[in-house]
Amino acid sequence: MAAKTTQNPSVEVDEESPGAVQNFLAGLGGPIVALYATLRDMVRILGLTFYYIINGKWGARRRRDILLQMYEVGNRSIVFIAVTLGFLGMILIFQAGFQANRITGDLSLLGALFLQLLLREFAPTITAMMLATRVGTGMAAQLGSMVVTEQVDALRMSGAQPVDYLVVPRFVAALIMMVVLTVFAIIVSFIAGAITANAFYGVNPRTFVDFRMLTWFDLWIGLAKAVAYGIAVPITACQAGLSVVGGSEGVGLATTNAVVNASLAVIVLDFLISGIGYAILSIL
Amino acid sequence: MINPLKKIGAQFLDWADTVGGLVVMMGRVFANAAPWKLDGPQVWRSLYRIGVNSFPIVVVTALLTGAIMVIQAGMFIQKYGAYGLLGWGAGYSILREVGPILIGLMFSGRVGANTTAELGTMKITDQVDALRALAIDPVRYLVVPRVISMVFMLLVLVIIGDFAALFGGAITGQLLLGVDWKLFVWSIIEYIKLEDFTHGLWKALVFGYSIGIISCYFGMRTSGGAMGVGRAVNASVVGSAIAIFVFDYFITYAMH
Repeated sequence: MAAKTTQNPSVEVDEESPGAVQNFLAGLGGPIVALYATLRDMVRILGLTFYYIINGKWGARRRRDILLQMYEVGNRSIVFIAVTLGFLGMILIFQAGFQANRITGDLSLLGALFLQLLLREFAPTITAMMLATRVGTGMAAQLGSMVVTEQVDALRMSGAQPVDYLVVPRFVAALIMMVVLTVFAIIVSFIAGAITANAFYGVNPRTFVDFRMLTWFDLWIGLAKAVAYGIAVPITACQAGLSVVGGSEGVGLATTNAVVNASLAVIVLDFLISGIGYAILSIL
Repeated sequence: MINPLKKIGAQFLDWADTVGGLVVMMGRVFANAAPWKLDGPQVWRSLYRIGVNSFPIVVVTALLTGAIMVIQAGMFIQKYGAYGLLGWGAGYSILREVGPILIGLMFSGRVGANTTAELGTMKITDQVDALRALAIDPVRYLVVPRVISMVFMLLVLVIIGDFAALFGGAITGQLLLGVDWKLFVWSIIEYIKLEDFTHGLWKALVFGYSIGIISCYFGMRTSGGAMGVGRAVNASVVGSAIAIFVFDYFITYAMH
């Protein structure tokens, strides 16, 4: 099909409209290119964050920023984490107890196995997903509106580095608070599970609270997951916030991207760390 | 002495306001959901945007979820040597609990946040008032198509996601644990009952409805510019997550 060029409208250029194969390749390649751009941006922000942690200006104002962010991330999520993980503990014990009753009738190992699964898998992952939704949207919305109202450009003009000034406090705060909230989540979920086991299946709390099956491996895996999520969630959220274009609609889009990217990062990291942990366990 | 009481009182009133608003929204959606009142093109458009656009991310999440559950179950299975139970262990937990919860959380993150942001932007740019000025009911035009699409699409996505998770689990079992995928599939067919599958589907229906109502409620109630949109999205995803876990517990309890 002939088309007119924009430079010289009187000249007709022979140009074909994209066929099926080209459309298919474009459909396949477009998301991959966008994904690559996002990942590259995230790695850049991660690298800059580590650089500014080592080389940045550490003083009273940085400490105050970090404490403020730790309050924002940690203290204000306590009720939310307690409710969600309490209910999760109740659900898991209810299901597990029902099945154990039906199959073996022996509930003595319920608490020990539940604690192991909680420490290894559910507490870090579900806490991270909850924080990804709550804290991820908050950070992305804050940074996004700062970009849209040109405050980030003003920061750059005054010689402050946006990553240094905005991202580093949030990163440090989220990393510390993720570990703290994971521990809190384990406690709350285990207590909720103990109450459920006692109320529905008559399991004595003394039998339920059983640390026999915990090993160092479980603790290391749980800690590794919490640290990995604590790095991934603020970086993805800040990346989504700092790459906003286009007014309040862009801010809305950025918050959606933040939640989706952070949740996906949590699940991918969960799979990787579980797989690596399993491989290490079978080698040992 | 007065201050803590004032804070608790203010919190409670705030919470009561939200719950009341949600119930009013549920009532208005119900009143407008009669078939002759539905806006066909809007429903169709919502179904596409909510369902088709979430498909890749739900499939990826489900594959990884299946793999994770098989790895976790695998550690116990290897200790007791019960390879024939791997399909049952992983399949039971995926179909009943982990599948609907993780797919619901991913759905609420993607679709719920997107809907609240969209409706919130429409609210603060006065487009909702413009609809009212044209004598179009915003709930009927904007909210009902989205709620219906979310209920239907989450159901479909959980079905697809369950199968994707079992597929991911089978592959992981074969590659990582050395459990033959035929044994995995046999174990699922032998031990998993239809009611395990439908248990997850009931949860998907309830999750879809609650995500729809909560996200549209917070979207229509946005105020305060771009920061208000961010706050509304935050409240919406937090509310959806709490609703998912609370309803999961009650459905699990009620259906035993």
